[in-house]
Amino acid sequence: MSQSLVVAPSLQRRAQTTRWIARAIALLICALVIARAVAVSLAESYPLTFWASQLVNGLVLGGVYALVALGYTLVYGILLMINFAHGEVMMVGGVAGFFALQLAQALGWMRGPAGLVAVALLVVMGVGMIGAMLTGVTLERIAYRPLRNAPRLVPLISAIGASLFLQYSVLLVFGVSPLVYQRPALISGGFRVGPVFIPYTGLIIFVTSLALMGALFVIVQRTRLGRAMRAVAADRDTAALMGVDVNQIITFTFLLGSALAGAAGVMLGFHNSVIKFNSGFIPGLKAFTAAVMGGIGNIPGAMVGALVLGIAESIGPSALGIPAEYKDIIAFVLLVLVLIFRPQGLLGEALAEKKV
Amino acid sequence: MTERHSRGIRIGLIGFGGLAYLTLIGLPGRLEASAPIVMAVVAAIGVGLALRSDAQRHPPAVVLRQALIAGVIGGTFIAILVGVFAALLGSGVRIQPVLDKITPPNVAAWYGRPTPAVARGQLAAFDFLRPALVVLLGSLAGGAVAVVAHRAVAARSGGARVPAQTRWIVIALPFVLLLAVIVLGQPAVTIGGSNKGTLRLLLAMLAVAAGLFAVRAARLGRERRVISVALLAGLVTLPFLLDQFQNAVMGIVFIFVMMGLGLNIVVGYAGLLDLGYVAFFAIGAYAYAFLSAPFSSPWFSQQLSALGLPADQPLLSFWQSIPIVMILAAVGGILLGTPVLRLRGDYLAIVTLGFGEIIRLFMLNLADLTNGPRGLLNLAPPTLFGYNLGNPRDIFILALLGTAAIAFVAFRLERSRIGRAWVAIREDEDAAQAMGVDLARIKLMAFAIGATFAGMAGQLYAARQVNIFPDNFSLFVSIDALALIIVGGMGSIPGVVLGAITLKGLPEVLRGVDEYRIVLFAALLVVMMIARPEGLLPSERRRLELHGESDATTEQIAEAA
Repeated sequence: MSQSLVVAPSLQRRAQTTRWIARAIALLICALVIARAVAVSLAESYPLTFWASQLVNGLVLGGVYALVALGYTLVYGILLMINFAHGEVMMVGGVAGFFALQLAQALGWMRGPAGLVAVALLVVMGVGMIGAMLTGVTLERIAYRPLRNAPRLVPLISAIGASLFLQYSVLLVFGVSPLVYQRPALISGGFRVGPVFIPYTGLIIFVTSLALMGALFVIVQRTRLGRAMRAVAADRDTAALMGVDVNQIITFTFLLGSALAGAAGVMLGFHNSVIKFNSGFIPGLKAFTAAVMGGIGNIPGAMVGALVLGIAESIGPSALGIPAEYKDIIAFVLLVLVLIFRPQGLLGEALAEKKV
Repeated sequence: MTERHSRGIRIGLIGFGGLAYLTLIGLPGRLEASAPIVMAVVAAIGVGLALRSDAQRHPPAVVLRQALIAGVIGGTFIAILVGVFAALLGSGVRIQPVLDKITPPNVAAWYGRPTPAVARGQLAAFDFLRPALVVLLGSLAGGAVAVVAHRAVAARSGGARVPAQTRWIVIALPFVLLLAVIVLGQPAVTIGGSNKGTLRLLLAMLAVAAGLFAVRAARLGRERRVISVALLAGLVTLPFLLDQFQNAVMGIVFIFVMMGLGLNIVVGYAGLLDLGYVAFFAIGAYAYAFLSAPFSSPWFSQQLSALGLPADQPLLSFWQSIPIVMILAAVGGILLGTPVLRLRGDYLAIVTLGFGEIIRLFMLNLADLTNGPRGLLNLAPPTLFGYNLGNPRDIFILALLGTAAIAFVAFRLERSRIGRAWVAIREDEDAAQAMGVDLARIKLMAFAIGATFAGMAGQLYAARQVNIFPDNFSLFVSIDALALIIVGGMGSIPGVVLGAITLKGLPEVLRGVDEYRIVLFAALLVVMMIARPEGLLPSERRRLELHGESDATTEQIAEAA
């Protein structure tokens, strides 16, 4: 809330009161959650290995969310808009990767020596990334660029339209039945660290997402384009005056975010074994939640938020003794709690008025 | 020169993308014999729109040459694509598991040949040329239309503006359409309906839509009052003119109008983008279900038998339930509104979307209370003096009454102190607060009132459906409601009616395109936001906000320069 405007003291008091009421409710929710967790842990004692393997699941899921969350954060940092269709970009990446995988299987690469399988997997991921990049850039060009100076609701609605359009186009073109990702035999197993079982896919996903995040960090912090991106995020008009081609930078941002999302889509395909038209929607929302939790517009924040969310989601249902179907609720409750207590996110700095 | 060629090539490639998309989603197969004509028209419209601005700057020959290039490029590519599909099908490759809609009938539609010929690979060389020719001719026609349209506009500019007769035609149109509905036949009990029945339904919806424009075209004062009363009289006769299926469609349209009017308060007036609005619709429907069919909820029937009450009949009638449903929905609105009071714009959208999902998850998983996915069954229909009002005609009448009541309240609220406060916080929250608007109270009022309206709509919907399931309350209800107020025009009451007719009514008329409905919606949302963000029938304030000022300033800038 901006401090420069003078607000009548009575209203200020009332605003304070509502704020405290909201905080009290939030505290109550937290207290209930903690009480419930303690009660459940006293009543049912899961073995430690159970928690450890849940933690591993959470980290893997968090890695995927982080890649998608980075796309939200990058675009938000530059355009101050939520790319509502980002989850669908990820899904399209997964679909594109599926076809590359089919081709690789038809060519027999997946049954070849380990080196060939590794190359094939890289190709699959590359195709997924390229598919997502094409989608993301087209999306920006058609649905967002004409609306850059419109009131804020307008691009958001356009984004909702684009999201539905992508989902249902995939449904119409590829049909209702999910596209099945077959894991090559080489990575379908897992290994044990002590009593904890770690699947190979999980390890690959986690390591790959860390590597991609590292690459993103280098691009944003160390290259000319990255510097231009940061300049546009800080102040678009001034950056333009300094000779930065703003349109090009925005396209590049979408390209980066979509590439990460495409990789996430392929990994989600391997993780869940299937990809279908609405596979991107809920993970997209979760990733957005993660981006907000970490502080939207903040790149390390998105990673931290995603890992926290992934772990909360995999541990939460058992810790609270609630059915696994409610795990989606955990994400949204976390989002609301974060927005009430720390609207700027876990790692975010206080945002200027225009960004809130 | 090269630049002009590249423009034609670009249009051709983009056009090919569009046509290939339509082919992949199986539209030609759906159109059967008329597919080539429709595809040619699509190509013509696309090229015509693309060349519209070129027609102003370049001589006709250049424009037509661009259309020719676009047609050759687009036609060649589409012919190759369809040819590849035909060859694959002909050689026995099954494409359908991968590309769902690429079946022999769909490919055959491009060639105007019987399906077995395509499946057996019996295609002559000329057949492969046909798609290319279709697109080429369409493109040339589009280019020609762009040139001619430009000439016509140029010839007419400087002439008189809207002549007075046009106004009277607009005013008379709804009555003519209503007359046509009457002339076209007696109400008969047909479900599904013949072509004539579909035409009547279409005319009825057009009559309502035309009525909205007629009221707007009428002059303020006595003229508008007289016309409004006459139109209302016409609207009231509508349920008695239509048959059962037509009434059922109109009933659902007006239930969505009720809901849209509520969402219009939250989004249109107060500017709080609520994507979980279905929650209140669901609260209304489930509240009515618990009150009128407690026996289908395990928990409720248990409680009732524990209390010694009869558990096999409604607790309250439809009419007695209304106030309770309204109160419950309003409480729901306040409960879900309180945590999000401080959120703005995008955050609010996502959090409310989450709330909508949470409510649906509860409906699905609280099986003791809601009977889970099996739903609540055998809800009581509304009755009046022992007369059952559960048939489609009476539901339509009830929906009209509900719409009238809600529209009246919304109309009065819009012009009240609260309504002005809503608009103020929509435009600038901080400035509104500085002017003494109590943000929390005003926002909560918007949520509560909007939720109340949605709850009423939900109750009527539940009574209409008799059996309700969690799947009736998916995210798409929210999206439909939002889409209809956007298409109609945010913050505009007649706009909501027009939006509901366009988005809920027209798809019923265009039977057979149901699977394309959502894609169409989605494309429409994007196109609307780019071309006409204020909606089809905008409120005056909104229109000026989105167009008036910025146009004026660009003109001033142009003059100054």
